[in-house]
Amino acid sequence: MSNPTNEPKRPSGVDRRTFLKRAGTVGAGAVVASRIHRPGAAAAQDATVRPDPAAKRGGTLRYAVHNAPAHFDVHQSGTVANIGPQSPMYDTLLRRSPKDGQTIIPDLAWKWEISPDGKRYTFHLRKGVKFHDGADFTADDVKATYDRIVHPPKGVVIPRTPLFSTVGDIVVLDPHRIEFRLTEARPKAFMLGSFASGWNIIVRKKTLEDNQFNLRQVMNYPGTGPFRHVSRKDKEVWIQERNPDYWNKGLPLVDKLEIYHMMPFSPELGSSFLSGKVDYARLLDPVSWRKAKEMQGVTAAAFNQSVIQAFWTNTVKNKALADARVRRAIHLAMDRPTLVEVVKDTAPMQVGGFVYPFHEMSTPRAELEKKLGYQKDIKPAVQEARRLMKEAGYANGIRNLDFVVRDIATFKLWAVAIQAMLKEHLNIDSNLRVVQTSVWFDEAQAGNFDLAISAIVSTLMDPSDIFSAWYGKDGPQNYSRWTNPAFHDVASQVERELDDNRRKALVRKAEDILEQDPPLIPVAYEQIYDAWYNKVHGQNPSTFFGIYDVVRWDPVWLS
Amino acid sequence: MRKYLARRALYAAITLFGVSLSVFVVLRVLPGDPLVAILGAEGHAQMKPDDRARIMADLGLSDPLPLQYVRWLGDIAAGRLGKSFFRGDTVAEQILHRGPISAEIGVLALIVSWLVGLPVGILSAFRPNSMPDGLARALSVLFIAIPGFWLGMLIVLALLFWFGYKAPILIVHFWQSPWQNLQIVAGPAMVLGLAQGAYIARMSRSCLLEVIGEDFVRTARAKGLREWLVVMRHALPNALLPVITISGVLLGFVLGGSVAVEQAFGVPGLGRALVTAVIERDIIVVQNLVLLYAVIFVGVNVLVDLSYAWLDPRIRYG
Repeated sequence: MSNPTNEPKRPSGVDRRTFLKRAGTVGAGAVVASRIHRPGAAAAQDATVRPDPAAKRGGTLRYAVHNAPAHFDVHQSGTVANIGPQSPMYDTLLRRSPKDGQTIIPDLAWKWEISPDGKRYTFHLRKGVKFHDGADFTADDVKATYDRIVHPPKGVVIPRTPLFSTVGDIVVLDPHRIEFRLTEARPKAFMLGSFASGWNIIVRKKTLEDNQFNLRQVMNYPGTGPFRHVSRKDKEVWIQERNPDYWNKGLPLVDKLEIYHMMPFSPELGSSFLSGKVDYARLLDPVSWRKAKEMQGVTAAAFNQSVIQAFWTNTVKNKALADARVRRAIHLAMDRPTLVEVVKDTAPMQVGGFVYPFHEMSTPRAELEKKLGYQKDIKPAVQEARRLMKEAGYANGIRNLDFVVRDIATFKLWAVAIQAMLKEHLNIDSNLRVVQTSVWFDEAQAGNFDLAISAIVSTLMDPSDIFSAWYGKDGPQNYSRWTNPAFHDVASQVERELDDNRRKALVRKAEDILEQDPPLIPVAYEQIYDAWYNKVHGQNPSTFFGIYDVVRWDPVWLS
Repeated sequence: MRKYLARRALYAAITLFGVSLSVFVVLRVLPGDPLVAILGAEGHAQMKPDDRARIMADLGLSDPLPLQYVRWLGDIAAGRLGKSFFRGDTVAEQILHRGPISAEIGVLALIVSWLVGLPVGILSAFRPNSMPDGLARALSVLFIAIPGFWLGMLIVLALLFWFGYKAPILIVHFWQSPWQNLQIVAGPAMVLGLAQGAYIARMSRSCLLEVIGEDFVRTARAKGLREWLVVMRHALPNALLPVITISGVLLGFVLGGSVAVEQAFGVPGLGRALVTAVIERDIIVVQNLVLLYAVIFVGVNVLVDLSYAWLDPRIRYG
């Protein structure tokens, strides 16, 4: 152990029994690992992040990501504007490995245990960890943090609260051990993924108490993370320095972070990167990214984002849209490959269904592309769509639908294309109403639309998260006000099923229901374009999911 | 003169009161919820009515509108200008930090517009319908027609792809590094200045054409004065009044245009702060910046009026 102060010492000798036991464990591990198709399900308790032996220390990493945050309370945020600049200052209980962005590894908890019934999660916390203000980190801080996430006080809204809906009690066993007691077991991957979410940073109990449990206006509250706040210029740059007392000795490797706030997909971001004014750019526009890819000494990566680009049909306001056949017809009338093509110079997209197309439990891409609605040749899908419209009594189409479009380039491009597709294929007439983002969400929540297009995010790739948030009966993003008892029943089983194979079968069953009775129409799934100069080592997001979990920069170094 | 000054000041005060009232009301009447930007779409969707009530109260948005308006006027009087909804920075801090950059862009643009527009106008007026006149007229129409933000983006891309150049990405004030500061403001000032210069060229051309037909110009020529003396001493001063008027109006275009042009060049000035505030629906920032722009616009127009009175005694005593 290179970090013996934080983790208990283990005996170094290996006797026959220990050897056989370890060999057996390794063998069993290999069998289990061979069954794991994706690293998403993996959790590695002994894989605390360690510095690359070849790494050089020092230097300043200039990183550009998103606009400035609207406030400073990471728990209350839902945008990379917070996670981007603030994550390096904080730690979480568990984290996703910076190597693949998916394997769950220790962070402030160096070990965890799950009871056989799956209802108790016990975390062993590191000793000797200090907050940036010098205070000791203890289980009380974890409890205060999670008490607020699980039961936010009035006036505090935390989007991750539903992930912990089954957490009953949070019990401090001793200053370095804490137990989460669930009222009902949930799949391990779901629970561990929730604890490893980059959003759930650990903050001091005293900080929360001193600020009435609301950190929206508190710019510099102490964390335990690898970097410390130095200065910040609003809407320009956030400067952080290496935390010399970081618990993970040897990390971080760079001395200073300069985090620049630049609008995603903007020419400003692209030109700053291409001119060498920043070393690492996140959320590049496709044109700049392609240019970066051609440049020598630059690496460009594309990876999956935790976002669905979708199209909602109001099932309450509009009688025609309440008919599942009409919604399926609309779903089939979408020429998805063309829609991806339409925005290729604005944002990178990929075709997908109702569950993330790259999730191990969703319908595999090859299979999906054979289904109606996802094929390159859309004639059979359109034929079926017209048949459904006729069957539902709308053979002559539908008139005068109010189509609310979020004022962002991709949605405006898509809205025009979708409007034309609906007119041409199904004789559905709609009037586009482009509105600002804040208005869009107001209108969507109030149900003031017939058709609407926008994007929504999820915290986890796990289907349970999206089944409740996007498609749940009272799901916060179920803007269509859609219900389907058969689906809700299956979703509830997916939420509770602990066996992966049975869960996968249930997810497929849920997908089938959604195909026939769509709660929303999936338009596409976003990808993220990053690029960096090759002097930046230690981070390659190609296999990451989203931009919210691995943004701490502790193992990154500069050559 | 004092009476004239007092009358102008009174008009200016009434205008600013009207602007403050309309911007205050419009921002509160327009649809859109600032809590979407604060909480994000997911947080906003989960928000319960009592959460909303608490947050709106914290932001001071649940008070009656007249009270909010009076409180804002009080903030203006105290020089604080209120706090941003989001990050808690005061608007006064933002203006002090970003204002100098935008002011430099505005002043430089005005200088560029005169330096370019006036000589071109004179040249055109004294060689009407010649090839240089035709070229000058064509170019001025071109610069009036091209949107500033588009030209700005072209310039940024051309500099980047041909020379690998990009202006500094952080604010550098003139007193910190004049050279770096110039790199930040030069692009937007040129784009805005050339567009306004085109108006000035057209205006000065038409005014000069009118003036050079007057008797006093003919008399000057008859006296045997050289042509440049006729222009500079006799024709130009008499043709300048409308050009000065239009310069005041053009400053409004510069202020308005700077919002988009700063965005195109990635200059972190007040224009960009205004765009961000509009997107976030940070109404405290928007109402203060709009009022600031109105104060500048009205102030410049008062100065233009006063310069009239100074240049033309008929107005002073009228």
